[in-house]
Amino acid sequence: MSSPQQYPPREATVQEALQWISDGRCSSHDLVSRYLDFLETEGKELGAVVETFETEALAAAKLSDKRREQSELLGPLDGIPFTAKMNITTAVGTTDASSSMLVGFKAGEDATVVRRLLAGGAVLVGKTSCDEFAMGATNETSCHGVVANPWDRSRVPGGSSGGAAALAGSHGWAFHLGSDTGGSIRLPAAFCSATGFKPTWGRVSRRGLIAFGSSLDQIGPIARDASDCALVLDCIEGADPLDSTSLHQLDESRDPIEKVALVSEGFGPGIDDSIREAVRAAAEQMEQHGVEITEVSLPQLHAANACYQVIATAEASSNLARYDGIHVGNRVAADDLQLLYEKSRRAGFGVEVRRRILLGTFVLSAGYRDAYYSRAQAVRDLIREGVDHALEQVDALLLPVSPFAPFPIGERIDDPIALYACDILTVTANLAGVPALALPCGFDEAGLPIGMQLMGARGSDRRLLQLGQQWQQWTAHHRDLPVGSPS
Amino acid sequence: MSWQTVVGLEIHAQMATRSKMFCSCRRETGVDPNHNICPVCSGWPGALPVINEAAVRYAIRAAICLDCTIQRESRFDRKNYFYPDLPKGYQISQFYRPYALGGAISFEREDATAGRLPLVRIHMEEDAGKTIHSADGTSRIDLNRCSSPLLEIVTEPLEMSGIEAASCVRSLRDLLRWVGVTDGDMEKGNLRCDVNVSVRPDASAELGTRTELKNLNSFVSIQRSVEVESKRQIEVLEKGGTIRQETRLWDQDLEVTEEMRSKEDSPDYRYFPEPDLPVVVIEQQDIDRERQSLPELPAERFRRLVDDLGLDPKEASPILARRENCDFFFALLEAGLSAASASNWFRGEVLRHLNDRSERIDQYPLAAEAIASVVKAVEEDRISVGKGREILQQALDEQRDPSEILSESGEQISDHSALVGWVTSVMSENPGAVNKIKSGDSKPMGFLMGQLMKASGGQAHPRLAQELLQKMIEQD
Repeated sequence: MSSPQQYPPREATVQEALQWISDGRCSSHDLVSRYLDFLETEGKELGAVVETFETEALAAAKLSDKRREQSELLGPLDGIPFTAKMNITTAVGTTDASSSMLVGFKAGEDATVVRRLLAGGAVLVGKTSCDEFAMGATNETSCHGVVANPWDRSRVPGGSSGGAAALAGSHGWAFHLGSDTGGSIRLPAAFCSATGFKPTWGRVSRRGLIAFGSSLDQIGPIARDASDCALVLDCIEGADPLDSTSLHQLDESRDPIEKVALVSEGFGPGIDDSIREAVRAAAEQMEQHGVEITEVSLPQLHAANACYQVIATAEASSNLARYDGIHVGNRVAADDLQLLYEKSRRAGFGVEVRRRILLGTFVLSAGYRDAYYSRAQAVRDLIREGVDHALEQVDALLLPVSPFAPFPIGERIDDPIALYACDILTVTANLAGVPALALPCGFDEAGLPIGMQLMGARGSDRRLLQLGQQWQQWTAHHRDLPVGSPS
Repeated sequence: MSWQTVVGLEIHAQMATRSKMFCSCRRETGVDPNHNICPVCSGWPGALPVINEAAVRYAIRAAICLDCTIQRESRFDRKNYFYPDLPKGYQISQFYRPYALGGAISFEREDATAGRLPLVRIHMEEDAGKTIHSADGTSRIDLNRCSSPLLEIVTEPLEMSGIEAASCVRSLRDLLRWVGVTDGDMEKGNLRCDVNVSVRPDASAELGTRTELKNLNSFVSIQRSVEVESKRQIEVLEKGGTIRQETRLWDQDLEVTEEMRSKEDSPDYRYFPEPDLPVVVIEQQDIDRERQSLPELPAERFRRLVDDLGLDPKEASPILARRENCDFFFALLEAGLSAASASNWFRGEVLRHLNDRSERIDQYPLAAEAIASVVKAVEEDRISVGKGREILQQALDEQRDPSEILSESGEQISDHSALVGWVTSVMSENPGAVNKIKSGDSKPMGFLMGQLMKASGGQAHPRLAQELLQKMIEQD
């Protein structure tokens, strides 16, 4: 195959890259091959990529080019490279959730989302690093090492889908599957200046997602813009007979969003000034384009993080019980069963995972359950009601993703409370099961990315993405690449 | 002092669905270990349970038969504990909101009166796998049984004896097997029972502290463990001791119960709602559909057998032990037999054959029509009762059609002159026996009849021949 004269610009979205391919300016094989080079060099330097599948990916790209020649494309993403987070199963490679417990684990089958993307012709190029079992906000708990923020390599990329966001923040052409339990798509997207979308709970099948907090977990895309996210959602959403919590009826409304409310609690004390200003400025821009902006108070937000910590850890303590050294998971040999459990789990789980398992076990224990787990469930109901009520008045809620900018690696990792503070503005969407979209909305004085999030009612995923697309037509924050990126 | 024994039961019945509770693996045992497993039932990361709708239908069926109140909405919960044959580290069960409440098991008291053991609840859950310990100290896990669908039926405590406790479980087993919900085979472990036993000084006293006996796997174990455990408790109390709430193990060889763990040591299962499964919604129409698809229940059949057909209740019970048995009995009626003779031949011959051959009726090679043709030949005096039995046995042994054997074997001879000929010759050949009878000793009569039947090649009509023999000896 002759090498092409040129490639799409580095920041090009999936749709722009597709345009290049369909114009014949480059082939899918060219694109995938060049993207693999990026993964092998910068991707690995950032610590974002754990595995690449060069042979399989190049073969798949070649097939895609052949289909394109014969006008037999499998779908709108045919020929486009994508990665999956290490907690999403793939038939090729390993799926270890970035945990020593599962290092080397071959799932042997594709998650439903991966299966659907492959069936649509998309090309799986690699697996991305994440926090161990998706537990973390900084991508510092991965057994594959720390991931660096492409905007400042001394800083964290956010977590848990840190690898995916670091890639999306520094290069276009591709999209990345992440998962979001309490902000794990949106926080790293905001920290790395990428666009990340957490769909309505149940809209996307969880089959093949290594469970953390099942009632909160949701797979979603991280990409360059909302338009690409919508394209990915089209392919991966919908009922799955292998996930009985997947939704059978999706709201297909595409009525444009007319009313957006700023959530006061997202602009209060504890939120960086530059972040408050950037998100307010974004609201003003929307207003200039005819979106009605109001403000609403959601006092339940103050209880959201505590509620989240109880429910997420309770479910995690149960979901991670299967890694017992007997069935799946690495075993440390011992003379008796109890020791085998203890040694295997101590060796396999990192500090943060162990902390959450212990906390989750505690909140479900007899004598404590009522004070913690049951109360958290009641608070969750109140939060859901509060969000639902607010979204009866307006079409979407607007608030920052993170209260602060990406911070230096190592700064918070030994301070769980400071670490959990990263999630205060994101967990509400998971508790309420509503969709939430993180969009880049500028940079602070240090040049670090700022993200804002839009939350909509359950099922309004498409309307939310549509507003995101519009906003990204009015602005160009999402086009920026880290200074010094090779072109 | 006279003590009263109070028993509560927790019965686990494996539902006889084709696939498992939350995946499409076959629910079958007797295959190679870990043959019927998949990512879901082996708890692989990323796999999610999906409720087997057939299991829910079976569960509805059981609840209808046991007269429970079926809940429109029920929910699965996780029961968390570590065990090698529990690959997810939790069992999916229904703890907070079971699908069926109330209901009762009808059973027979020792004094033959009708008893009624009220149910607390029934819930659906999944079974665990099996740990196989080898002599060399290694243990292996077989997940074939893992995630098979179970019903757990929990009863209220009720005053009853060991025999009655076993009778309750038998009655429940027969009923659930009748409607096809379970194979109900205790030996194979697809029906298992935990028994709670307590004693109290008299019926007006408060319930005593109970102990729980785990995993009883036969009716005899249920009966004996209740008897032994209540006796143990009474002895403790009569010596001034107290009963501790604990789980005990039944040793069926030594016939003793032994402490396994006290209440304080019982695990904390940390139940919480299963987030991977939606609420189970059972609509009235689902219940109606199952009700319509149910076969006629044993209680209704019992009424027909006793009230309509005039059978003795004692005769009716063995016929009602299994639906297939009862169906066979009705097939005998349909083939033209009277209720009385169908009952006699079914209980006397068919059930005996099954017992001899350790078979179930669906494996029985003889057709109801063929049996009926032999019975009719007996009733029409064409062959003797003994000959009829012989033909059936021969048909089984030689795997042949009894009507064929019947047509080959000569019919009974009632012709007077033929009978006179045989009687005369037997009398003349056995003068000693004839004289003994004449002198009042009737014992040799049987011998003479045997000789006579032999002489006739088994064809002499036995009753007529005997009457004639009697008369001719008297007149000799």
